[in-house]
Amino acid sequence: MFVLSFLVRRLAQGALIVFLVTLLIFTLLRVVPGDPVRLMAGGMAPEALIEQIAKDMGLRDPILVQFGRYMGGVVRGDLGQSFVRPASGASTGGSSFGDSTRGERAEVLTLIGETLPMTLQLGGLAILFALVFSFLVGIPGGLAPGRWPDRVAFYISSIFISLPNFWLGIVLAMLLSVQLGWLPAIGYGGFAYTILPAIVLAVELAPVLIRTLTGSVAGVMMEPFIAVGNVRGLSRSRIIVAHALRNASVPLLNLIGIQISGLLGGVLVVEFIFDYPGLGLLTITAVLQRDFPLIQGIAIVTSAIFVFINIAVDLIATMIDPRLEY
Amino acid sequence: MTGTPLLKVRDLSVGLETGGGIRPIISGIGFDLAPREILGIIGASGAGKTVLSRALVNWIDPPLKVTSGSVIYKSQNILDLPAQKLRTLRREIAYVGANPAGALDPTLPVGQQIVEKLRAIAPEVPHDEARKRVIDLLGAVRIPSPQMRYHEYPSQFSGGMMQRALIVDALVSNPAFLVADNVTQPLDVTVAAQVLRLMRELTTRFDTAIVFISSSLPLVSDAADQILVLAEGRVVERQVTKALVATPQHPYTRELISQIPKIWTSEAVAIDPPAQSREPIISILDATRSYRVRKRGTFASYSTVRAVRNVTFDVFPGENFGIVGESGCGKSTLMRLLSRLERPDSGHVLCDGQDIARLSGKGLLKFRRDFQLVLQDPFNSLPPRTAIGAIIEEPLKTHGIARGEQLRDRVLSVMHEVGLPGALYDELPLGLSAGQRQRVNVARAMVLEPKVLIMDETLSSLDQTEQFKLLKLFEQLQVQHGLTYVYISHDLAMVRRVCNRVAVMYLGEVVEIADNSRLFFDPGHPYTKALLSAVPTLEERRYKPEDCLLEGEPPSPIDLPPGCSFTSRCPNAFGRCHQQSPVLTARGGKDLAACFLVENTLTHAAA
Ligand SMILES: Nc1ncnc2c1ncn2[C@@H]1O[C@H](COP(=O)(O)OP(=O)(O)OP(=O)(O)O)[C@@H](O)[C@H]1O
Ligand code: SF4
Ligand SMILES: [Mg+2]
Repeated sequence: MFVLSFLVRRLAQGALIVFLVTLLIFTLLRVVPGDPVRLMAGGMAPEALIEQIAKDMGLRDPILVQFGRYMGGVVRGDLGQSFVRPASGASTGGSSFGDSTRGERAEVLTLIGETLPMTLQLGGLAILFALVFSFLVGIPGGLAPGRWPDRVAFYISSIFISLPNFWLGIVLAMLLSVQLGWLPAIGYGGFAYTILPAIVLAVELAPVLIRTLTGSVAGVMMEPFIAVGNVRGLSRSRIIVAHALRNASVPLLNLIGIQISGLLGGVLVVEFIFDYPGLGLLTITAVLQRDFPLIQGIAIVTSAIFVFINIAVDLIATMIDPRLEY
Repeated sequence: MTGTPLLKVRDLSVGLETGGGIRPIISGIGFDLAPREILGIIGASGAGKTVLSRALVNWIDPPLKVTSGSVIYKSQNILDLPAQKLRTLRREIAYVGANPAGALDPTLPVGQQIVEKLRAIAPEVPHDEARKRVIDLLGAVRIPSPQMRYHEYPSQFSGGMMQRALIVDALVSNPAFLVADNVTQPLDVTVAAQVLRLMRELTTRFDTAIVFISSSLPLVSDAADQILVLAEGRVVERQVTKALVATPQHPYTRELISQIPKIWTSEAVAIDPPAQSREPIISILDATRSYRVRKRGTFASYSTVRAVRNVTFDVFPGENFGIVGESGCGKSTLMRLLSRLERPDSGHVLCDGQDIARLSGKGLLKFRRDFQLVLQDPFNSLPPRTAIGAIIEEPLKTHGIARGEQLRDRVLSVMHEVGLPGALYDELPLGLSAGQRQRVNVARAMVLEPKVLIMDETLSSLDQTEQFKLLKLFEQLQVQHGLTYVYISHDLAMVRRVCNRVAVMYLGEVVEIADNSRLFFDPGHPYTKALLSAVPTLEERRYKPEDCLLEGEPPSPIDLPPGCSFTSRCPNAFGRCHQQSPVLTARGGKDLAACFLVENTLTHAAA
């Protein structure tokens, strides 16, 4: 009953958020300078033709009308078609624009559908790496506040936080891939290609997780129920595993919910460096080409993912700590 | 005392390791505990009771250190046992502390945690049986619907219920002895009386010996067979309870006993009843305050907590007005209405004849000056990094009353008045005792020369001796400045000593208002009687707990059923009480009570 009402409430909120994000992106794209039709048709196309195409595509209608039309498609599961990319794959150059080719332009949904799983795989692996590493470093740190494991955790997170991701990406690619030949780096030809970019992302995620984990484990260890646990006859390992970690994981979960939103920036950079064919790379090219429908589609999908992840995180947190009720 | 002692404590000393050596906290403690005995330990705050109780269960953590002595149980010194052996002994040695709220993991159901503990110290008990035993015990300590409560979380338990759950937690392994440190401290008198009764039953039912530690002698004397008096870390006296009360030997014990407020044997307070013709200084008219809270596990429905319901009373200048009731009865909400931290949903609060909800600007500032609040918690209410002088100065600055040298003089004279040495002016509050902190709070209020001081549980965190001193101070300030006091408290013994008129609240309503002696000797409401029967005292009780002590706790103030709000716990409830709610009815003089029985006696008398 509680879970159901929670889900209904949060999904309704989430739909509203996604809608607002879409509206915002949509409006912004239409007020920033740079006419996509000019880019599509190429610099040499006559003004009249551009106007004609723009009219045909509905780009000269009032923004609200355009938005209504677009949302009409979205609710039917139609995110529109790319301005630039043909269905076959590579993006078309401006000069080859011809109105007759419109039918062959790639579906935004298909483009996203091809790249999203790659990015989810990358993000998932990065979070896994980051979690395992922060547990290994953060928990001993939290259990010995002020002593050496705590300082080790502190130094590691300080070092990690000061490594720029593009630099680390390049260095790791040089070292592990070019020099040692342990891992493939550029492009994608199998699961092994995900590992190196995931490590770079994990290094970006880990410092905050380590600090939060050290802090919250140390905080929980000061709670009276931990000290009393010993007098009640519970063993130390049981107290740590069954109670301290349980309580400390709630702030960690909330943090992950926030961090994942922050992961997007890292994904853009890392996918670009490693030429990893994911959503990040798609976003970069879409922005460079002013491919409005594609940018919008990516915005909707990513904001929906954030909404889902945050709902999931909160749901798990309430299951761990029933006092929280979102 | 028959047979061999269960526990032998010999020459036990614990010290505090500081940079410059070891400061002794308790020294040379020795006593025996017989099987099934209840040994009471009393002492002032800081006498080392908690340290001693922890030493008994080998729970001394740095910077504290056992410096000598032994605690011998079954001919082994438990202070020397390695951790692993000690853990197997934990099933025979149990401990319950004063902080029930923090004692269990807040994220797991209470029942499950008790089972976890039982299975950790007695792995041979199968899970199903452990669970059954826990539910049985929850029932045995009179937690209602134990089957359901088993699955609830610590935050869903009230303080009293949680304390009982922890007693279950301690008893579930059938321990040979239980150390109970200040277990009743966070509880209401009515609930404390129930817990105490429970403790006494335990010794017979489960063959458990108990070391019962508290700073309240009346409370300990209710439970214990023998009492040990601890002063400054040493045992200064040990006697059978009756003998200790009748013929205390040590000066400390004698002083302690002399300071315990007498409830039934002393004169009524010597507050002159203020002249009748005067206008009330505070007058509350039909004030109501509700809060909306979201219902758990529903989509968008709210329920209403009616924290204060239709409260009406007057306070006259120069009075000591008391407001008493169990926790959650709306005392603190009423305090917030009185001090305009919140406004009533309906009704009015008049101070000096003016509706304080309408005040603004100058009028409001004057009201804030004249009506000062002194709060409960001496530890969190002072900013830790501000010097004491600056803390007391601050209200003067906010109100723009004095500046420069004048400011300092005024602060110093107030500090002198409340008994704080002037040398503390530049000190930080860190090193202050609870009593001194409370004095700083009083000084902070007094510096504005108010007309009314509202004391919200101001003295409840202090021990007997400190309370006694502060009450003396309050009396003196009243004489000098013509103050009016409103005491909000759950401590009836204190109220008996200082208040000339008392209002009793239950579930947001005032159920009785009466003069001090009428309230204590001829209460008009069954709830008042129940409260009185639960007050710990060294005297012969006037109201027998067997006749009027309440079971359980007040129902939740959410969505109250119709009828008298006290019906669910009232020993005298009858048919009419379930349908109609009684209103405050005069019972001769100015005294009022809200109970149908009062109306009955009145009509009988009239007939
Ligand atoms: N962990 C600690 N670190 C430093 N000092 C401590 C510690 N525990 C206790 N003390 C000191 O030991 C003395 C005795 O404290 P203890 O808590 O035993 O008093 P108590 O009799 O239980 O008082 P109360 O009635 O207020 O509970 C106090 O002076 C206190 O400051
Ligand atoms: S009205 Fe009835 S239920 Fe209420 S206090 Fe009086 S006797 Fe008890
Ligand atoms: Mg104590």
